[in-house]
Amino acid sequence: MGEVELSCRAYVKMYLHACLFPRCSINGLLLSSSPAGGPVCVTDCVPLLHSHLSLAPITQLALTQVDVWCSQTQQRIVGYYQANACVSDSNPTPCALKIADKISEQFDNAVLLMLDGSKMSSDYRVPPIVMYERKDSKWLLKDKHTIMLRQWEETRAIAGQMLESGDHALLVDFDSHLDDITKDWTNQKLNTKIAELASPANGNI
Amino acid sequence: MASVSEMYDVGWEEMRDKLRKWREDNCRNSEQIVDVGEELISEHASKLGDDIWIIYEQVMIAALDCSRDDLALTCLQELRKQFPDSHRVKRLSGMRLEALERYDEANKHYDAILQDDPTNTVTRKRKISILKAQGKGTEAIRELNEYLEQFVGDQEAWHELSELYINEHDYGKAAFCLEELMMTNPHNHLYCEQYAEVKYTQGGLENLELSRKYFAQALRLNNRNMRALFGLYMSASHIAASPKVSAKVKKDNMKYAAWAATQINRAYKVSHRTIVISPQTSMRALLERV
Repeated sequence: MGEVELSCRAYVKMYLHACLFPRCSINGLLLSSSPAGGPVCVTDCVPLLHSHLSLAPITQLALTQVDVWCSQTQQRIVGYYQANACVSDSNPTPCALKIADKISEQFDNAVLLMLDGSKMSSDYRVPPIVMYERKDSKWLLKDKHTIMLRQWEETRAIAGQMLESGDHALLVDFDSHLDDITKDWTNQKLNTKIAELASPANGNI
Repeated sequence: MASVSEMYDVGWEEMRDKLRKWREDNCRNSEQIVDVGEELISEHASKLGDDIWIIYEQVMIAALDCSRDDLALTCLQELRKQFPDSHRVKRLSGMRLEALERYDEANKHYDAILQDDPTNTVTRKRKISILKAQGKGTEAIRELNEYLEQFVGDQEAWHELSELYINEHDYGKAAFCLEELMMTNPHNHLYCEQYAEVKYTQGGLENLELSRKYFAQALRLNNRNMRALFGLYMSASHIAASPKVSAKVKKDNMKYAAWAATQINRAYKVSHRTIVISPQTSMRALLERV
């Protein structure tokens, strides 16, 4: 299948989400604001849950809300990410497969992304992610060479810097939003911070 | 880097009291505990009196949580010197081994404690935690069930068991655990709401109706529980949309859903955020169950 590109903003928020809840399994949705056709460009993500990932009501609610927000902001849900609480296990759980299936009903080239906890230490050189794509109703491991992170070194530096300065505490996932609905699950503040840290020479983040 | 006392302009007594509050509330804010506790121990140890031992224990556990083995070992060594034959300190040694992923050695420590004292519940639970950390969900469930046969009143254990069952997608058994918790804690809105979520996930008309009732109960106990409010809206909408219900049930549930929608809209208006809850559009989306 085709190439998948992961933007700095999407990667950093996913990474910070995992760092904010190191003892929990976390998940979220991958979004794209690029026009359909061509390689899949994941330009943003929405962190969803850090508890009871497999229970239906909140997941359904979040999917609906994100869907509506996407249609208002010219974005589409193109994938799903998850990081398991157990660091040594980066396999997709049944609920991950279910949600990814649901997304691929609406978007042909949907991607399923698992964060590999064992590769997330500060000295990691490669992106700690594993991607799956749908072939014949099954989710298969994607060829590493079809996953692109532009400016990886810079992205990695930004993620590390934000973690160091405690910015991950600013991240709001849907779960936190339900605990306090004044919190913004679209994370506009964090998006601005990430954009500020990205080098001005890089026009396409 | 500025010290905690400099940054927050607090004295050692306030730091000590904060640590006590976190102990009493059983908070897992390990990074904060390490920051405050490390400074308290290194600069004000002499002023703490006998409190220092429980602070060493608290800071040690928090240090393990933050991969600060240096600090954990320091605390542990002080405790070993003071209480050389203590099972409690031996258990802390075991926890350090767990943090270093030396599970076999940790288990040996715990088995030694349990030989001496078979009713040491905390140690038994540590062994179950090891199974969980190793990803052995089914074994952890089996051990926890055995534990609960003996210690049937242990609320923390029942809740842990419900979480383990949810992870294994065994919703029926998770519901059973939550029923036990609701029986002994009838005023806890969180148990009601979690039970409702499990029932909703199980699906089917009967479970949906139960889930709606328990979402409503959670709201009665705490009218600010947003999950319960959304849950009520969604379960009532699903029931109303089902072809199997009578006209009266349909009408009643549409009323409940409409009420919930109004409450949701009101809550969001007050918080100046936007949400789209319109019966028609959302219902269609909601009908596609995940």
